[in-house]
Amino acid sequence: MTTEPRHPHLLKMTDPPTIVGHRCVACERVAFPPDPYGCEKCGSPASTFEQWDLQARGSVQAVATVHRHHRSTPVTPFTVGVIGLVGGPVVKAIVEGDGVVVGSTVEGFLAPDEQDDDGNVIVDLHFRVVE
Amino acid sequence: MNAPNLLSDRPVFVVGIGLHRYQRRSDATYVSLGLTAVREALGDAGIEWTDVEAAYTGTALLGMGASRIMLSRLGATGIPMTQVENASASGSSSVAQACLEVASGRSDVVVALGVDKPRGGLGAAPGEAGIDNLEGGSVVPFTHFALLASEYMNLHEVTDDQVAKVAVKNHRNGSQNPFAQRQKVRTLEEVLTEPISGSLTRLQCCPVGEGAAAVIIVSEDGINRLQIDRSRAIQVVASATKTEGLYGEGVGIDAALTAETGVAAFEEAGLGPLDLDVLEVHDAFAIEELLYAEALGLCQPGEAASRIESGDFDIGGSCAFSPSGGLLAMGHPIGPTGVGQIAEVVRQLRGEAGTRQQPDARVGMAHMVGIGAVCVVHILRQP
Repeated sequence: MTTEPRHPHLLKMTDPPTIVGHRCVACERVAFPPDPYGCEKCGSPASTFEQWDLQARGSVQAVATVHRHHRSTPVTPFTVGVIGLVGGPVVKAIVEGDGVVVGSTVEGFLAPDEQDDDGNVIVDLHFRVVE
Repeated sequence: MNAPNLLSDRPVFVVGIGLHRYQRRSDATYVSLGLTAVREALGDAGIEWTDVEAAYTGTALLGMGASRIMLSRLGATGIPMTQVENASASGSSSVAQACLEVASGRSDVVVALGVDKPRGGLGAAPGEAGIDNLEGGSVVPFTHFALLASEYMNLHEVTDDQVAKVAVKNHRNGSQNPFAQRQKVRTLEEVLTEPISGSLTRLQCCPVGEGAAAVIIVSEDGINRLQIDRSRAIQVVASATKTEGLYGEGVGIDAALTAETGVAAFEEAGLGPLDLDVLEVHDAFAIEELLYAEALGLCQPGEAASRIESGDFDIGGSCAFSPSGGLLAMGHPIGPTGVGQIAEVVRQLRGEAGTRQQPDARVGMAHMVGIGAVCVVHILRQP
């Protein structure tokens, strides 16, 4: 059995995890998620991008607790945050634990979500308040 | 390149409006929904189907080939029919194409129709683009807007009650609209029950049902040739469409896109936000009315909630927001929604809106946004 991120191209399983974005060499725009097609700022093809590691740490810009959801997972209620990463891009992700408010500093961790047919554990990047 | 102002060079008018009530999914076929709206619009204009030279059908959910099997039941006249898909703004874009067709001189009489029936899901293409993200499926549209609400309410110190009052107002307006899916007056206490996501409750989220709306777009030549009642013709003075640009990290794309599109429409019309008497706004979620009121320049950033509380955006206020009930109460059947907005603005500018009439309404706007993101704005006025 192994532990695998749901989207291996978005995460490195470091401690804490590292988010993988891209940087356009032509215009220096850093973006997440990494784009397989081209740069929204200057139009350069993705073949000219370089991988860009982003620290899974940032500040909560908005937060919402979801009470009704169309799928069985995540189990409601769960909380989603808009997180401005210290490296620039903004991501949306589940934030666990109490006390998350706009302005909270949060850090990413790997949260087990489900097991595949072979018993491998699939993990997602969630965040929690650290300050 | 500066685009020519076609709507100024060859004016276009809405002379007929028709709707099938927005409602929960039923056994009615989309054909019967659409034909109801088109027949009513033709009757309202006082013209025959054989007078119509082209048709645009706005729909996002029906699938390909929806137009002819429906409209040929009015007579298979062989006119060009084009299906328009632009997410929630599909109907708005069918109106935009009809206006362009008439303004260009290609046709004098065109019908713009919106019709849809809900299916299992939206089938939105961006989810198939092969661009994964961290949130997976946890951020559906109502949570996207709940997050925008969180950001806005924190920045401007706005309360849950203040946002909910948008829904109280729009449900009150919808209660007076026989075409609205939701026709009940709701108290603030009722609106605040049944949380969905963040501060948004069920009654602060639009219902997605079925329905149809149609408008007849004509030229001056068409009015004269068909002897259409000029006193009920409402002029379209701006038709602006934009897609999302890059606005910087953390900037609300929906409001920024609306601001850009609104500026383009006001410039085309030679009007400003304070000229608006009526505004049908994309209030799919209550927070949006606050965001777009400010983005369109009807008030300063952070002012919208207090303006709504003061009654300034009620029917009878300085500008009536969503007198139809808006997406929150009239409903959001997707394809018809943008066309239905035009129908409501026309009804208001004709002075034919009955108990929900905005007094002395002379200028109105219809505003839609859609997944993508796209934004379509029309401005209409009494000629």
